[in-house]
Amino acid sequence: MADEEKQQDTGSDAWDATQWHVVSKGETLSKIAEKYYGDPGLYMKIFEANSDILKNPDLIKIGQKLRIP
Amino acid sequence: MKSRKYWVPILIVVFGLFAASCGSANKDAATAAIKVAEDAWNAAKGEVVKYIPDQAKGVDDAIKAAKESFDKGNFDAALASAKAIPDKVKELTAAAAARKAQLAKSWEEMSGGLPRMLDAVKSRLSILSQSKKLPEGLDKAKLEGARGGYEAAAKMWDDAKAAFSGGNVADAVAKANAVKEKTVEAMKALNMQVPQAAVKG
Repeated sequence: MADEEKQQDTGSDAWDATQWHVVSKGETLSKIAEKYYGDPGLYMKIFEANSDILKNPDLIKIGQKLRIP
Repeated sequence: MKSRKYWVPILIVVFGLFAASCGSANKDAATAAIKVAEDAWNAAKGEVVKYIPDQAKGVDDAIKAAKESFDKGNFDAALASAKAIPDKVKELTAAAAARKAQLAKSWEEMSGGLPRMLDAVKSRLSILSQSKKLPEGLDKAKLEGARGGYEAAAKMWDDAKAAFSGGNVADAVAKANAVKEKTVEAMKALNMQVPQAAVKG
């Protein structure tokens, strides 16, 4: 199981199936896409799934919690 | 001595009539008790068989035993057996209602959670099908296994919903549990986080 893929706080909803990733130092959306999909070119899938918190795919912050579709 | 000669047959006749009337009273009481037992069971049997089927046979056997005693002329035994049945039926009716409520609760929880798990797996499979290379820890065989598991689970989920719509909650919950197992398997194969409620079982 991917260590960094975190589940949303399950206190209120134990059935939440959203997949999460907490951004670490040096990570980019491409690297995260490679980790989960094997293909860095699929980074836009992650960007689109987090359009509510990301405005630019090149700008992600350490500690940011991203949905991984 | 002369009067004794007449009294003996009279007493025999009186005792005979008394015994016959007692036997008839027991027969009537046993008949009524068996009817009450059968009516109670007929009213409750549907729900008991549906929700706690393993316990239904006991009542069928008890009614059969009461009838057998009755047929053999053992009205006291028939009455005793039949009288105990309505209480047992009451007990089973309560147990069936409790099981029904438990199943309804399970269904409510799973019908809210399973579609989200299925959607998450579907989404991941869709993206992985566009990937030029699979991520670490996932090979083609595992991916195909997860895809097959997802497809089976999605179909079974439709069956579970149909069973619930048809009023068969027990079958719907059994199918939903199978969906949960298959979906959890697929999520693990795809290195996805499994929701806490699905892990707990």
